[in-house]
Amino acid sequence: MASSKGPASPAVRVAEMEKMSVEQLKAVKEQTDLEVNLLQDSLNNIRTATTRLDLASAALHDLSLRPQGKKMLVPLTASLYVPGTLDDSEKVLVDIGTGYFVEKTMVEGKDYCERKIHLLKSNYDQLLELASKKKTVADEAGAVLQAKLKQLAPQT
Amino acid sequence: MASPAAVRELQRDLENKANDLSRIQKDIAKNHQVRKKYTIQLGENELVLKELELLKEEANVYKLIGPVLVKQDLAEANANVRKRIEYISAELKRLDATVQDLEEKQNSKREAVLKVQQRMQALQAGKAKA
Repeated sequence: MASSKGPASPAVRVAEMEKMSVEQLKAVKEQTDLEVNLLQDSLNNIRTATTRLDLASAALHDLSLRPQGKKMLVPLTASLYVPGTLDDSEKVLVDIGTGYFVEKTMVEGKDYCERKIHLLKSNYDQLLELASKKKTVADEAGAVLQAKLKQLAPQT
Repeated sequence: MASPAAVRELQRDLENKANDLSRIQKDIAKNHQVRKKYTIQLGENELVLKELELLKEEANVYKLIGPVLVKQDLAEANANVRKRIEYISAELKRLDATVQDLEEKQNSKREAVLKVQQRMQALQAGKAKA
């Protein structure tokens, strides 16, 4: 889906850019900047999701330390809590997506969180690499554009 | 030879073709949006399928239907998710074919617009000389 500047080495890319007109170069830079922004947004989203999963994992761990029958407050709405007691903390209900929930043991639940966190981390790393490559191309385009504009300016 | 009527007609033709072109481009943009939504759903469903496959036979699966959590059979849940994945994949393929067709139409419209523009320019240049 994303266009890649594939195997072209930086020297080749700069040479290609030198051949382009100012107009084309501006378009290329804008396009690459847009792509970089999109990738940055995705990176932020992944970071948010990873934080939420970390919180879930911490909550799970805390829950596993609580004894059965412990008094607790159960949220019914965002502002209404009702007193209750902790039942079996060995079983947890995990939201796996598209409206499906699975009953898992505490250990499996923790394992699920770990797995998701690993998946997100590897996605994040891949995206980061892609984003920095795109940023390099955008910077190169900017530099060549600047040089061209400077060339044209003194002639007017 | 170049009458104002001919120029006006060319202009009308140009406007029509330009409108057609922008309509095609809007369709292509809409196609991209729908394709994005389906791709996200496909990814989510595949994650769910992977999780379901990791489960043992007797594990309890529940589905959220509105505000109600309903117990589901693992085999049934598997089948449902698989069917959804098939459906979404078919939709994506259909969208791909549509967008290719639209892009071809867009290119040919662009050429047609260019040709009309060139004819207009030639006509106006002819008028200027006369």
